[in-house]
Amino acid sequence: MNWKKVITIYRKELLDLFRDRRTVLTSIIVPIVLYPLIMIGFSSIMIRQESKLDEQSVDIYFEDKARTESSFRIYEALQENDRIKLLIGEDFQDEMIGESLVHAGVIIRDSLTASGYEVILIQVSYNKAKEKSELAYSRLRKIFRDLEKDLVRERLASIRIDEDILSVVDVKENNVAPPEEMLGFFVGKILPYLLIIVTLSGGAVVASDLVAGEKERGTLETILVSAASRLELVLGKYMTIITISFISVLLNLFSMYFSFRHIMFQSGVETTGMQLPISNFALILVAMIPLVTFLSAILLSLSTYARNIKEAQSYQMPILFTGMILAMISMMPGFELTTGFALIPIVNFSLLFKNIMMNNFQMTPFLLVIGSTLVLDLIAIKIAIDLFNKEGVLFRTAEEKSLKFWGKEKGNIFSPQFIMIFFLVVLMALFYLGGSWQSQDIVQGLFKTQIFIILLPTLLILRISRTDIVSTLRLKRTSPLNILMVLIMAFPALLVAVSISNIINLIYPISESYLEVMKNLMSTENRSFLFTLGLVAVLPGICEEVMFRGYLINGFTRRGLWSAIIVSGILFGIFHLDPFRFLPTAVLGVYLGYLTLRSNSLLPAVFAHFLNNGLAIVITNYGNDLPLFSKIFPNEEIPIWYGVPALLILIILLKIFDRINQRVPELPNLV
Amino acid sequence: MIEVEELSKIFPQKAGSDLRAVDQLSFRAEKGEIVVLLGVNGAGKTTTLRMLSTVLQPSSGTARVEGFDIARESQQVRSRLGFLSGDTGLYARLTAREVITYFARLYDVQKKTIPERIKQLSELLDMSDFLDKKIDLLSTGMKQKVSIARSIIHDPPVMIFDEPTAGLDILTARNIVNFIHRCRDDGKCVLFSTHIMREAERIADRIVMIHQGRLLAEGTWDEFKQISDLHDLDDIFINFVNQTRVGEA
Repeated sequence: MNWKKVITIYRKELLDLFRDRRTVLTSIIVPIVLYPLIMIGFSSIMIRQESKLDEQSVDIYFEDKARTESSFRIYEALQENDRIKLLIGEDFQDEMIGESLVHAGVIIRDSLTASGYEVILIQVSYNKAKEKSELAYSRLRKIFRDLEKDLVRERLASIRIDEDILSVVDVKENNVAPPEEMLGFFVGKILPYLLIIVTLSGGAVVASDLVAGEKERGTLETILVSAASRLELVLGKYMTIITISFISVLLNLFSMYFSFRHIMFQSGVETTGMQLPISNFALILVAMIPLVTFLSAILLSLSTYARNIKEAQSYQMPILFTGMILAMISMMPGFELTTGFALIPIVNFSLLFKNIMMNNFQMTPFLLVIGSTLVLDLIAIKIAIDLFNKEGVLFRTAEEKSLKFWGKEKGNIFSPQFIMIFFLVVLMALFYLGGSWQSQDIVQGLFKTQIFIILLPTLLILRISRTDIVSTLRLKRTSPLNILMVLIMAFPALLVAVSISNIINLIYPISESYLEVMKNLMSTENRSFLFTLGLVAVLPGICEEVMFRGYLINGFTRRGLWSAIIVSGILFGIFHLDPFRFLPTAVLGVYLGYLTLRSNSLLPAVFAHFLNNGLAIVITNYGNDLPLFSKIFPNEEIPIWYGVPALLILIILLKIFDRINQRVPELPNLV
Repeated sequence: MIEVEELSKIFPQKAGSDLRAVDQLSFRAEKGEIVVLLGVNGAGKTTTLRMLSTVLQPSSGTARVEGFDIARESQQVRSRLGFLSGDTGLYARLTAREVITYFARLYDVQKKTIPERIKQLSELLDMSDFLDKKIDLLSTGMKQKVSIARSIIHDPPVMIFDEPTAGLDILTARNIVNFIHRCRDDGKCVLFSTHIMREAERIADRIVMIHQGRLLAEGTWDEFKQISDLHDLDDIFINFVNQTRVGEA
């Protein structure tokens, strides 16, 4: 590799990009002109609006039913206030506020006598959902509070008691946070989010132009034919994306810094002596290096894969959205940079930046974030380089013939495309329909979900396409030995799945309420054991197996047994709609898929699925009562290390299962 | 010099059947010679040229450019090759001079000699008027000249033209044809692909006919006439295609 050529490519790309108005607009004009204008404009409008609201007078309906001396003083106090317009009457109704005739109503209902002194009962009606009504209420409360103080003082004076005896506790506020930290708190919440968004969006515009744009304009081939190597081209373009992203970040930091100072000044906060911590900004810039290079490599890969700019941009959308949502974590309260979060891309940076800005920098999580990102970074760069070396990707027009084939195959219900679409539709139904059914009534919801979302649509598709359901779903008799093997394997298989969940729970502590819901579902306290078994073990065992191991798995057998097993396992994991349960359920899916394809019958998987869920119910409910279980699991919790021997045993058993099924001849169909 | 030996390129199709774009193709092109690769659309011309320019990897067989293997010594092959297609493939936002300089540097032309070399080419191709204009503002003919200059900036011994006149008007096409002749006269080895029989007839020293990825016939225009006893190249080509069909049957 020749670095001189890399630099030549890099310089040409930058020159080319900066002659493009789009690049200049998004990466320079927007941050240094638009952001300050928006931020400053927005904040000054806010301040104006607030003070305007403060000066506005409010209309208050006043009704005095008590008519005592004290109630007259209340009337006087309200009358004196020049930001209150009194409307006096004798027939207040709540609707008056709803119809905006007045902002609040004050009714002095009665005057009682307690311990020889007068107590005045006042009712204040207002609408909390209305800004001005709420303002009227807070103004009234202040007036009443002041008046009450005066009255109390007078009463005490009349019996010759000093009012000081009323103060028992004197609280003085002392905020020890230095101004920088206060500022850091604001900046810590919003800045990380903005920085990540800016990095992504700044790089995205450039990246789509760099490779997909060259394909579109027909210049890619010229450059590939030149004496520059692929690696040199990738590096030159990669460095360009990184540079533009960094320019975006720097300009944004710069403009945000000044906009922020301006806002603080405008809102009257003392800014002298208050400095944004420059050293923190420097630290953030250093931490940005792996993040920017990682995101740039992803963007470069997408651009290389895409056929044209438009395609590249549509591939970028999911990445941008995911990035935006993950980055938002810095704005949410209560999230700390734990080991678990330090391993999730983008989330880790969002929290790390927050920590840095709030002077809460710690070395261990910092290194963990940087280290894990660097690993991902290397993988992403490798993918980008590999893609650039794939002729099928660089000349995707050469595949046009196979693309026509793609279109033709859409009608085939076993094509991977059709199956993926089916899966997504079911997934959406599960999310929107199933979710709301289950939140209404968990038992009925689960039942309806299994039958109407999972089982019936699958059967319907097979029926409509006139597929032979029995042979497609592999509804065949299987050797009794297989059923026996499944029974033996059930326990180690469950142990493996539970161990994986426990490891994940260790890194990402699970919420107690969620655990409660799961236990409740399994619990036989409110329902009979058989009913629970039917709902949680039999029903999913049949319905989910028909969909996943019966139908979906067939779409991926073209590339071999293992790809079908793994892809259907991953889909099964996704289907549980919970990132923390993805891994254990995907592993379970792989296990069930293996049973099905190896035995060429769905029955072992149905039985294994039933046993897996059924055993979980038994352990949840009767774990302590069964002598064997309580000996193996003394504290209810299943120790994580049990997973290792369980996995070994499972693998050995699967080998035996494998052998059995090599010997068993093809059995005739059930029907 | 280009030596092609049993070169094949197979594109795997998703249906499982493979598309043999180029099938056991062999031919040679010598120094100071214009060889035309003639075939209908989809015959495998572009795929062959892309393999020779090392952009695609051959599935089997080999080829050498100036003695360098296209698979193992791709870097050396590319630096001895000038490649020009009908698609000008220029960077619209750069000026002509910037584009040519960029490629000169990628081809390791010595930095000091680049301005001098651009001056020479600019005189040769009559492009001094628009050398510092952005490509975006140039006419098709001007762009084609810039492309020519770009492809020859490193003075390569081998030139490959992939349907360079496709979609060009007669004057611009004439520029290219003149340029090709000049290349031959300078002692370069020229490989030219086209589906237009007339064009092949006019500029070829030797013709390599390919059909469905396979070699159909190789020889000079006169040899073809003698063998087939026909006079029109269109007829000769169809004659060869029919012969192979008979052979297959």
